[in-house]
Formats: sequence, structure tokens, C-alpha cells
Amino acid sequence: MGLQAYLTLAAIVFSIGLFGVVTRRNTIGILLGIELMLNSVNINLVAFSRFSGDVTGMIFTVFTICITVVEAALGLAIVILLFRVRRTVTADHLDLLKG
Amino acid sequence: MTGEAVGFWCLSALLIGSALAVVLTKNLFHAVLWLALALTGTAGIFLLLDAEFLAAVQLLLYAGGIVTVMVFAIVVTEKLVGERLSQTSRRIAGGAVASGLLAWLIVSAVMERPLATTRMPMADDLTQEIGETVLTRFVLPFELLAVLMLAGLMSAIYFARPEE
Amino acid sequence: MMTGDGSLALAALLLHALGFLTLAIVAPLRRLGRPAAYVSIACAVGSLVSAVLAWQQHMGGAVSRRVWEWLPAQGQTLATVGILADSDSTVMLSLVALVACLVQVYSLSYLSDEPAPSFGRYYTYQSLFAFSMMGLVLAPNLAQLFICWELVGLSSYLLIGFWYRKPEAARAAVKAFWITKAGDVGLLIGIVLLWRQSGTFDLTEMRVLVESGALPVAGLSIITFCLYLGAAGKSAQFPMHIWLPDAMEGPTPVSALIHAATMVTAGVYLLLRTEWLFALTPDVLLIVAWIGAFTALLAAVLACVQDDIKRVLAYSTVSQLGYMMTAIGAGFASAGFFHLLTHGLFKALLFLGAGAVIHAVHSNDLPHMGGLAKRMPQTAIVFLVGTLSLAGIPLFGGFLSKEEILGAVWAGGLVGPFLLLMLVAFLTAFYMFRVVFLAFFGTPPAHPHHGAHPHDPPAAMALPLWILAGLSMAVGIYFTFTHPETEFTSPGWLMPTAVGTAVAGILLAWLTYERQVINAGRLAAAFGPIRYAAINRFWIDDIFEGIYNAVLLGFSRVVGWLDRYIVDGVLNVVSSWTLTSGDDLRTLQTGRVQDYVYGVAVGLLILLLWARWALA
Repeated sequence: MGLQAYLTLAAIVFSIGLFGVVTRRNTIGILLGIELMLNSVNINLVAFSRFSGDVTGMIFTVFTICITVVEAALGLAIVILLFRVRRTVTADHLDLLKG
Repeated sequence: MTGEAVGFWCLSALLIGSALAVVLTKNLFHAVLWLALALTGTAGIFLLLDAEFLAAVQLLLYAGGIVTVMVFAIVVTEKLVGERLSQTSRRIAGGAVASGLLAWLIVSAVMERPLATTRMPMADDLTQEIGETVLTRFVLPFELLAVLMLAGLMSAIYFARPEE
Repeated sequence: MMTGDGSLALAALLLHALGFLTLAIVAPLRRLGRPAAYVSIACAVGSLVSAVLAWQQHMGGAVSRRVWEWLPAQGQTLATVGILADSDSTVMLSLVALVACLVQVYSLSYLSDEPAPSFGRYYTYQSLFAFSMMGLVLAPNLAQLFICWELVGLSSYLLIGFWYRKPEAARAAVKAFWITKAGDVGLLIGIVLLWRQSGTFDLTEMRVLVESGALPVAGLSIITFCLYLGAAGKSAQFPMHIWLPDAMEGPTPVSALIHAATMVTAGVYLLLRTEWLFALTPDVLLIVAWIGAFTALLAAVLACVQDDIKRVLAYSTVSQLGYMMTAIGAGFASAGFFHLLTHGLFKALLFLGAGAVIHAVHSNDLPHMGGLAKRMPQTAIVFLVGTLSLAGIPLFGGFLSKEEILGAVWAGGLVGPFLLLMLVAFLTAFYMFRVVFLAFFGTPPAHPHHGAHPHDPPAAMALPLWILAGLSMAVGIYFTFTHPETEFTSPGWLMPTAVGTAVAGILLAWLTYERQVINAGRLAAAFGPIRYAAINRFWIDDIFEGIYNAVLLGFSRVVGWLDRYIVDGVLNVVSSWTLTSGDDLRTLQTGRVQDYVYGVAVGLLILLLWARWALA
């Protein structure tokens, strides 16, 4: 399968992730969507790396996976903190910045 | 149909199906489990692309680590005995249109370009290759990443500390 | 023509400016009252001395011109300020200075009941007026003339409305201002058009242009007519005469100064100053003459039915102004000017005399007066001198000047106006002697008004009266025996006819009011409809008021509506749109992260779409 196939796959997963981010009410649900989007990015990187013969893409992927882990940990920590303070994780209720 | 093509189609179906399940399931716990499946599917795609090391990392960190942390977070925050609210909001139509349009745009752009169909030759042992390159060419980002992870770890501990 | 040094004339002008500025700026001095009056009078006396000396210097035809650059423009100066002193302007200057000084002295006594701050205010306005009038008289160019013209109008407004708490006075001041302003618009248009035609405001330069034939005559009639409109407004020609009788609401000394001798004569003076220009447009001069004659007749008729002594004098002034304008219209402005000077003297005298009567009787109305000659002999004598001058009897002030006007009109070939003026001479004598007989002779009223005890006026009031009477007589006697040269020759029958008409008028008045041979009531009834119309002032005031209400106020209402609903409306709509769209845009800020992500996604989509179609 050529590069196009992998890129198409990644694009589809990305948009599914975007849909999840925009639609989900629970904050953790939003984080799930974000994970999907990051995954699709990784697929893109590895595919490009493989089809151009440069290992840099894969190394980049290692880094992004690590950073994503950190981000997930922090995000969930914040969710827990929010739950403690506001007793809710529904994203609709977190609208203090409403203007 | 080559083996690789069969593998690709199966894994794609798995990935896309579980991704859809992630965003559409009402039960959040089930969504996390579907995410684990999607991440495993991604690991399979990495294997198809000869990136064994990355597949291993993916399974270890993503499917193993993140999913576990998410489950814990759900347990802490969701009143499991309590409400099961509708998990989807009003913006379904808008979101569907936006994401569908985005997918179509990217895919049609990709389809137009004459992209590579054959793989370029790469080293046999990619793991070794990755290891060597990280610690020579990319040693600075590597170290910085370590610092970042330390910072992230400390922040996470601080945020989630017990209340006084 | 010798060129003199204009410093004396300039000094006359600037002394009054000094008086005005001192009183205007130093408010504590002004509020003290009498000291302010003394400052003003001191400046007035100094100004009078300078003016007379300047007149002596320029009597023989010397001309002094001192100008300072005021509005520079590309190439040449656009406008200058300064003085132009020649024989005409210096003699007018002397008249203004004299009457202003005498009136200010007279007011010391006449307005002695005023509270001190008002008293100071009065003298401030008097100084302002004197300064503006002198500035007008000495103006070397039309720009300065116009400015001083307007200042004179302002001072007139301030002085007519001096007792501003009286509604009639305030209304009269506004009316005067409005009517003269209407004329002033014409004057301004005329000045600007004239500048466009000749390229200069300066009178001397313009005269050179005209006399060398360099000024294009096309369109000049409109210009001179516009200038005449300004003069007609100020000099109360028909139909802009209606403000003058109402202006009698002001203090009597003000009437003597402004509405007898100086401000109203500004129009005549303007036409005199520009007579070489008007000479190029004989058709406009014809209009001037006819309107002048008609005004004279109209005012004389109106004067016959007035019971207020000041109103009689006011209409008399309008009538005499008509005389002067007719002479100018006939082409002999010098005759009109001569009458202006003598009229200034005896009309001021009559007003001040009337003031003395009013002061004594506490009323303006003739029915409240009677038999005053016995109780106020001095006043009666000076008033009689003034009346005889006005009637044009030999040996008295107005005799020769009136003759000259009649002669000028005849020489100009204007038969119609001439006949009208003859009739007016008859009526003038009649109504003035009606006043004399009703006020000074006959029986006093049974119940004195307000418990008045008529007596001769105190020194401050009496002195100006005697000075003016003396000057009137001196002028009269001098000119009865020395005929000045004129540009025309009057026919031999003119003088006897004129004098005879006047005597006939006096006779009729004597028979009606003194001897009571002719019943006044039946005489009045004989002219029934005319009398009725005259009592209603020929409804001219009402017409003006109707036009004002309908046109002006109606137009104002329309403009007001436009302003409120369209101009303000547009702005209000724009501002409310801003507010509502602000409120609507605000709903975008929901505070929810997901909505913002959605926004980013939409933005990204738009960019991609644009990149795909616009750039690809």
C-alpha cells in the first residue's frame, strides 16, 4: 500500500478524533479524542519516514509519544483537581470565562 | 492482494471502527476500552511500516500506561453509582460537518499528489538505528525531553495532591 | 489736495475705544456707577475736541489716510484697518462726537434713578457705540465699514434693550436687530460682489477705478442695489422701517443719539461715501428716490395719529430719512448729507427735549400733557426751536437743508417724488405743531399723572438742550444769510412755496388744536379709512410677523424635525447597532473550551478551502 493509503487512514482517524473533541461532554471524553488525534499524527510521521527512507520521522514519533504521555498525565491531574473544586467534569459547566 | 495489503485493510477497519466507537459510545468506561483497542491497532500499523520499536513503545506507553491512568481518573471523578448523563452535546451536526469536511479536504489533497508507492530502503535493524541516532544527532532534544518529563511529573503530583 | 496727518481723527476714534475698554474690562469701576460715567464722559469730551480740530484741518479739502495691514493675502493685502479723513467724514465725525458727548452728559441726570451697576453698563454701551460709529464714519474700506456697521447694530440692540427686564424692550431690541440684519445680508453680498468686480475693498482705490472708467459696469446695478438694501435697513426705509418706532422702548437719550442723529444716518452716509459708484447705476438711484419719497409720506401720515410723543418723533425721523434718501436718489448726495447734519442737531434736540418732558410728567402720552409752557418755560423754548427747524422755517436750522433737498429733487427731474415731498413738508409742520400745541399749550390734564409736578430739567439735562438749540439757531441764521454753492440751481418759486407749505401746516395745527376752530374729531373723521389704517400702522408689522411665524418658524420646525429624526436618528441607529451587534458577538464567548476548539477547526477549514480553490 502506498503512502497515500496511510495518509488517508491518518486523516480519517484525525477527523474522528476532532469530532470527539468537539462533541463529547465529559472532559475525559475530550481527552480521549485528543489521544486519537495524536495517534493519527504518529501514523503520518512513521509513514512518511518509511517511504522516504529517513529515520528522523521515527525518532520524532518517539518524542511525541513521550510528550503525549506527559500531557495525558497532566490533563488528567487537572481533571481531578477540577472535580475536587467544582464537583463536576462536564465540560459545559466549566464556563467561568463566559463573556 | 499482498499480505501487507490484507493486513493494512484489516488493521484500518479495526482502527477506524474502534475510533468511531470511542467518540460515539455513551458509556465513558467503554470508550476508554475502545481507545485501548484503537491504540493496539495503531501499533499494528507501525509493525506494517517496519517500525517494531515504535510498536513496542506504543503498546507499552499508550495502551498500557495512558489507558490505565484514564481508568483511574474515571474512577476518581465519575460517580459510578450516580448519573449516567448523555455523553454527547448539541454540536453533533456541526462537529460532523466540520470533521467530515476536514477529512474530505485532506484526503482529496492527498489523492491529487503523486506520492511514493514504493518504500525506500532503510536499515534492517531500525531499533539500533533509532537508538544510535537519538543518542548522537538528537541527544539535545532527548535530554530536554527528560527535563520536560520531570517537570510534568512534578506538576501532576502537585495538581493531584491531597487536599489540606 | 493736501494730505494731512490723520492723528486727530484717529485720536477721536481711539478715545472712545479707550473708554469702552476701560469700562468693559475693569468691572469694579463699572459697577460703581457714577465714576464710570465720568470716565466715559471724559473720553467723550476729549474725542469731541479732537474731532472738531480734525474737521478744521480737513475743511478745505485735505485728505488723510492711514491704514494698517490686517488680512494679508497672496500678492496684496486683502483688508486693512485705519481711517480716511476728509471734509465729509470729519464733519460727520464731529456730529457724532458732539451728540454722543451731549447725550452722555444728559444721561447723568435722566438715568439718575438707575442702580449703579446698570448705570455703569449704560455708559459702557454708549462708549462702544460711539467708537463703532466713528469707526464706520472713518472707514477707509468696505470691510472695516461692515464690521463697524455690525458693531453699531449690536450697540443699538444693547441700548434699546437696556431695560431688558421689560418684555417690550427686549422684543423691540430683537426686532431692530432682525430687521437691520436682513438689510445687512444685502450689504454683505453687495460688498463681496463689489470686491469680485473691482478686486479691492478700499474706497480710495475703487474711486480711482471708477473715475478712470476701469470698473466694468456690467452687473453693477445688482451690487449697488444690495448696498442700498443694507442702507435701507439701517436707515429705516420702507418696508424696513418698522423697527424704529418700536426702538423707542429704549431710554430717551439713546433714542436721541442712535435713532435721530447717528446710527440711522449710517445708511445715508454709506450712500454718500459711495455716490460715485451709484452714479454709474441711475436705475438704482431712481428706486432709492421713489422709496425715499414714499417712506417720507408713509411715516408722516403715521406720525399724525400717534399719541406717544416719542413715537411721533420716531416717525418723524423715518420721514426725514426718506427726505435724505430722495435727495441722494436725485443724484445730489451732498444735499442729503447737509440735511443729515442739520437734522442730527435738531432731532437730537427734540428727543432730549421730549425726554425732559417725559421726565417731568412721568409719561410718554400726549393726553397726559398740556399747558407745560407755563411750568417748563426753558424746555418749551428749546422744543419750539427744534420744531421750527424741523418745519423748515427761515432763520432756523433745517430751513436751508430742506430747501436744498427740494431743489435737488426738482433739479434731478423727479417730479413725482418732489410733489410727495411737498406734501410731506406740510404734514411735518402739522404733526409737529400738533405735539407742541397739545403738550405745551392748552389746559393741563385734570388729574396729573402719577402726581407729577412738571418743572424745568436740572443742569445736566438743560445744558445739552441749550447747546443744541444754540447750534441749531446758529446754523439756521448762518445759512439763511450765506447760501453755500450748490451743484444745481433751484427755481425761484421753490423757496416761497416750501416756506408757504410749512406755514400752512402750522396754521392748520394752530386752528385745530389751539384755537379749536376746526374740530379735531371731525378732521380725523374726514380721513377715516386712512386714519384707521394708520392707527394699525398699515398692518406692515403684522405682515412681517406673519412671514416670520410662517416662513422662519415653519422652516425651523422642519429643520428641527430633520435634525431630531434623521441626523440624530442615523447616529442613534448606528450606535444601537453597535450595541446589539456587540451583544450578539458576545455570545460567541461561551467560556467553553469545546466551542473554542470548534472555532479553531472552522477557521482551519476555511483556510484550507481557500488554499484549495483560490491558490490551486
